[in-house]
Amino acid sequence: MLLLCAGYAYLTSNLPSRDIQNSTQPSFFPWIIVACMSLLSFALLVQGLLPHFNSEILPRSGIPAKRIAIGLVLAIAYMVALPWLGFVAANILLFAGLMYLYGEHRPIWVVIGSIGISVAVFILFREVFQIRLTAGILEGLFR
Amino acid sequence: MSPDVLDGFFRATQYDTIFAVAVGCLVGLIVGMIPGLTISTGIIIVLPLTFVLEPEISIALLLGLYVSGMTGGSFSAILLNIPGTPSATATAIDGNPMAKGGEAGRALGIAITASFVGGLFSFLCLFFISPILADVALQFKSPDLFSLMIFGLTIICSFAAKSLVKGLLAAVIGLAVVTIGQDPMMGTQRFTFGQVNLTAGIHFLTALIGLFAIPQLVDNFADIIKGTDEGNTTKIKSVFPKIADLKQMRLPVAIGSPIGSFLGILPGAGGPIAAFISYDYSKKLSKNPEEYGNGSPQGIAAPESANNAVTGGALIPMMTLGIPGDPVTAILIAALLIHGLIPGPLLFVENGEFAYGVIFSFFWANIFNIIIALVGLRFLVKVLIIPKTLLMPSIAILCVIGSYALRNNFFDVYVMFSFGLLGIIMRWLDMPTVPLLLAMVLGRQIEEYLRVSLIASKNDITIFFTSPFSLFFLCLAAASVFWSFWAEHRSKQEQKQQT
Repeated sequence: MLLLCAGYAYLTSNLPSRDIQNSTQPSFFPWIIVACMSLLSFALLVQGLLPHFNSEILPRSGIPAKRIAIGLVLAIAYMVALPWLGFVAANILLFAGLMYLYGEHRPIWVVIGSIGISVAVFILFREVFQIRLTAGILEGLFR
Repeated sequence: MSPDVLDGFFRATQYDTIFAVAVGCLVGLIVGMIPGLTISTGIIIVLPLTFVLEPEISIALLLGLYVSGMTGGSFSAILLNIPGTPSATATAIDGNPMAKGGEAGRALGIAITASFVGGLFSFLCLFFISPILADVALQFKSPDLFSLMIFGLTIICSFAAKSLVKGLLAAVIGLAVVTIGQDPMMGTQRFTFGQVNLTAGIHFLTALIGLFAIPQLVDNFADIIKGTDEGNTTKIKSVFPKIADLKQMRLPVAIGSPIGSFLGILPGAGGPIAAFISYDYSKKLSKNPEEYGNGSPQGIAAPESANNAVTGGALIPMMTLGIPGDPVTAILIAALLIHGLIPGPLLFVENGEFAYGVIFSFFWANIFNIIIALVGLRFLVKVLIIPKTLLMPSIAILCVIGSYALRNNFFDVYVMFSFGLLGIIMRWLDMPTVPLLLAMVLGRQIEEYLRVSLIASKNDITIFFTSPFSLFFLCLAAASVFWSFWAEHRSKQEQKQQT
């Protein structure tokens, strides 16, 4: 938090100033935030050091770290591929990956579920709600 | 009677608005009853659809979802002993024993009826209190409004956080996020790093979708591992409550409805607190307190009337002061802003018929809530058997489309995922996300009112202490922070004594 605060303070110090009488500068509010953030970060640090405030943190059980990590990689890959693949193909892949992560390991269900729901949602938003979703590499199929 | 009231009533009674309310109620009941899906998530999923609708129809849809989501939460609490929403936790105490005793239909009927009465009571509060509060709020000047926003922020932080410092830090992070983009007074670019997409700032809704939906998807990983996502519904017979049950419900509903409406008005208090307080008071005042916890109809009626009464109460500060009482009303504010409507006292002056239209849509939401719930319950509970392997990926792609649809921009999808990651980290650090979200709602106004006040007073900060309203709100804010600090200190001492 202190590092975040220092970074924010550095960026605030580089903000341009305006020469207008009786007016607050664009950096005025960010400086207040810096002051509050540093004060609260320091308070958190003190709380962590004082035995009175430093209550025992219970170990977290049942956090599926491996699944979260795989999910994160999947999300990054999805974001990179989305502009190129378009919403249909990218969503099918994301959907299939998430179905697998949520425990559905039957291939036929994964294929039917991911294709069926992704295409249905795409058509609903693009055709019914008129939201301009790009179909990317599958544009020819949804013209 | 003001012509706005009649116009508002007619606007809310148009067939398309009524239809939107009914659809919202249906979706709300489904969303509410699915454990792992909150009302906020439900609204986030539906929100992209509202971009193409008229403002009154959009808000009617969202209000239906809000009201029915509260009721829907009780269904899974009663049938599965898993509250669909946090507000239904108290309902499970007596609801599930009744369901296990073969009285699932009766328990659900009591929950639905109590929800209806609570909702209707809060509608009356909303209808009568809102215009009065809006009139008072019209007298507020910039310093008063700044202090009011600060009060709204501090009370929310103190309620939302287990640790006051972490809650306040989350709020400060939210304020820092708001400073990205154009400065509201001079239009200077701040923290945009030359990125055109950041010129207009970070859209509140993209942040909201990421902060709420992504951590929830992660939470459901854990649920699946623990095996707590299995849906198994009991067969339901009649859900219509009997006369004897209605008589038994009188006292708990009379306790729950005002408590819920009052706590709804207080920002941050919310449904779960109202439900438990009502349950507790109802038990204390009951002739048969020993029945509570073993399947008492009164133990269902009190929390259910309270959590639905919270909905109308929470709309009061939202509509009259522009302060969200809970995450759902924060999303509603964002939905209004998308349509160019600014909630606050001026809403009643400039868009009076719209304001009353919202109030009457809330009334219809309560009517459709009871009708759809009572008539369609037997079919609706089938939703509980939808596997999460289909539900959760569906939510993920809806979140992506929702973020993209805001401005037809991939950048918003990246922002949404970034905030999702931030939400996961904050949960990991035991830092509440609600203060961050609410700071994002209020942040821009806080800065604007602060700087306008200082310009008006020629940089004299005593302006915030010389105005009686401003001083009052600042005192309340200070009291709220000190109270939270004291409560945290006391709870830690109690924990130490126990160990």
